[in-house]
Amino acid sequence: MKRFKLFTLGWWILHLLAILFFLYLGHAVRFVRVVPG
Amino acid sequence: MTIRTYTKAILLTALVTLSLGGFLLHVRIHPVSQNSANLIPVISGLLSILVIPLLFSFKKTIEYGYVLNGILVIIGTIAMAHLSIVNWPAPATVGAIILKTTLADIAILWSKFFVGKALFDLEFFGYDPRRAKKGKTFRYPNLGWWTVHLVAISLVYLIGNLVWRWR
Repeated sequence: MKRFKLFTLGWWILHLLAILFFLYLGHAVRFVRVVPG
Repeated sequence: MTIRTYTKAILLTALVTLSLGGFLLHVRIHPVSQNSANLIPVISGLLSILVIPLLFSFKKTIEYGYVLNGILVIIGTIAMAHLSIVNWPAPATVGAIILKTTLADIAILWSKFFVGKALFDLEFFGYDPRRAKKGKTFRYPNLGWWTVHLVAISLVYLIGNLVWRWR
């Protein structure tokens, strides 16, 4: 199994993109409270 | 057919049936026309039914399948927990939290993660019953690594949701 090296350029780029994606996901997802009846 | 191929086929089938069940359930309960956030289960479902089993099928791509499967489970967990927090039961008794939130759905979703984990571990660590489990808990591909990513992704999502609010 190939070990993915920590703190390499590829690691930083991947994590930066992932952080931006999940920040956007948190921003974009809005749920509205469902009132029964 | 070897027992290895057979077990792999069974686990892949479990992965597809679980994903198909979740996909159809979401299409029925949360139509995309109601909320664009309902696109998340549609896209995740399609990836889980069509792409992940393919990635898991080949040794070269199995790691991508393993990571994608886990990340989709984390996204599903966060989104469903978010939905439950918005629709928090009142009064919030222990029974209501267990039965009237998405806790059950999250538990079912994690079975998909563990099926993927079993597929990956069997492929990478082999089928030898005497082989000891090795490796550091918090390093890839172990469960501690997933725990770190679950917490970190939840935090980033939370910041995006609470801080980034203008539209």
